[in-house]
Amino acid sequence: MMLTVENIDVFYGAIHAIKGISFDVNEGEVVALIGANGAGKSTTLKTISGIMHPRNGKITFLGEDITHTDGYKLPAKGLAQVPEGRRIFLQMTVMENLEMGGYIQKKVPDEDFERVFAHFPRLKERRSQIAGTLSGGEQQMLAMGRALMSHPKLLMLDEPSMGLAPILVEEIFNIIREFHASGTTILLVEQNAEMALQIADRAYVLESGAIALSGTGKELAESDAIKKAYLGG
Amino acid sequence: MAFLNFLISGISLGSIYAIIALGYTMVYGIAKMLNFAHGDVIMVGAYICFYAVARYKLPPLVGILAAMAVCTVLGIVVERLAYKPLRAAPSLAVLITAIGVSYFLQNGALLLWSSNPKVFPSVTGMGKISLFGGQLTVSLVTVVTIITCIVIMLVLTWFTGNTKMGKAMRACSEDKGAAQLMGINVNSTISMTFAIGSGLAAIAGVLLCSAYPTLVPTTGSMPGIKAFTAAVFGGIGSIPGAMLGGILLGVIEIFAKAYISTQVSDAIVFAVLIVVLLVKPAGLLGKQVNEKV
Repeated sequence: MMLTVENIDVFYGAIHAIKGISFDVNEGEVVALIGANGAGKSTTLKTISGIMHPRNGKITFLGEDITHTDGYKLPAKGLAQVPEGRRIFLQMTVMENLEMGGYIQKKVPDEDFERVFAHFPRLKERRSQIAGTLSGGEQQMLAMGRALMSHPKLLMLDEPSMGLAPILVEEIFNIIREFHASGTTILLVEQNAEMALQIADRAYVLESGAIALSGTGKELAESDAIKKAYLGG
Repeated sequence: MAFLNFLISGISLGSIYAIIALGYTMVYGIAKMLNFAHGDVIMVGAYICFYAVARYKLPPLVGILAAMAVCTVLGIVVERLAYKPLRAAPSLAVLITAIGVSYFLQNGALLLWSSNPKVFPSVTGMGKISLFGGQLTVSLVTVVTIITCIVIMLVLTWFTGNTKMGKAMRACSEDKGAAQLMGINVNSTISMTFAIGSGLAAIAGVLLCSAYPTLVPTTGSMPGIKAFTAAVFGGIGSIPGAMLGGILLGVIEIFAKAYISTQVSDAIVFAVLIVVLLVKPAGLLGKQVNEKV
């Protein structure tokens, strides 16, 4: 088991945002967390990556209890996150952003940049450009490339399709498939349930801070409840 | 020649403001707080150097290094004890705490070193340099101050642009959450920034007291406020902005003193600040970020 989340409760002040969620991610899987706005998907990711800490429950990553580990120590353990809204460093160049992605290494080897450029040739063209001048799609690619720089074992993506044109959404999901094919385990948070269920081996549906349904991507895509609530049919 | 003389004095005074302003701007850039105690760190640095050089007869360079070491530690300790517990608090609470730290340092100095003015020994010696066949004389302190400022600017620019630590500082100043996801230890980066800013404050304190040799526990407060103004003038958060703002402020102050009136020079300085902020609210080199959605 790569990641196990057991019964976590997360609060924003008095608001009980996550109510006893449990799920797991096996090595080599693509697991999706889907659900409506405010269901607690992003909060779950933030809790795994140590930006927030749960009040109760336990998170285990590669056999190690990381429930209360400081977030900055997690990339070195093999956990990376592409945050919601990309959060690239807008005033730094593309290269500097990638370099920050590889911060846990003493010195970032050239092959690491090349590996990212192989996935995103457009970033190579724009390598010395200030990131704030990139288009929305390019910024998303940079955010994904930056996360790859730390050689994550588990890559968590928070709403990678948000705000992008449909053609770019396709492209982003193809790249997630490429990441997966090259051996990275993926935990994907998406509002675009249709795309997410196509790519996911397994998925969990979150509703107001709790898991309402779970199953394989195929099962959920065919379930009537899901079709009604999330797939517009 | 008088004009040139004033200009050089202005640049020299401005260099001191610039070095202090760097501390304000770097700390603001990364911790998003105004460290109003920064001016008093200057005073502490000056006292340390004073005791090392005047009392213990140590060489000036040792005095400066001692001042830097003490101020660096002071900066880290103040951040750890006073500001770090307030990381999630509203900015007003942090601001009030900073003012509290400022009074604490001033009164601590009063207790330790009394209110009797100390005559600061010049660390550069009293030498003067004559130019243009004696028509223009510049004191050694002035020259050393300007050179120090240029060196600090070059080193800091190189540091933030080329070193891993410097880039991590820029990343933290833009987005602490994202920086943490990269594996950057945000707390130690903030500590580091306070250390650098306070070390620079020590240098500024020594240069300030070498040029204006009366040292009392409130010595740092007025230059501190002016340097803060300089940082805002240049665009708070921007390192080149702090340098430019500091030097311009020094030049304006000296020209106002020389050509208009000594009494109202400060009023003129702040009037210029107000006008600049009306026209460019982010300061001269302030960052205007256009975020893409």
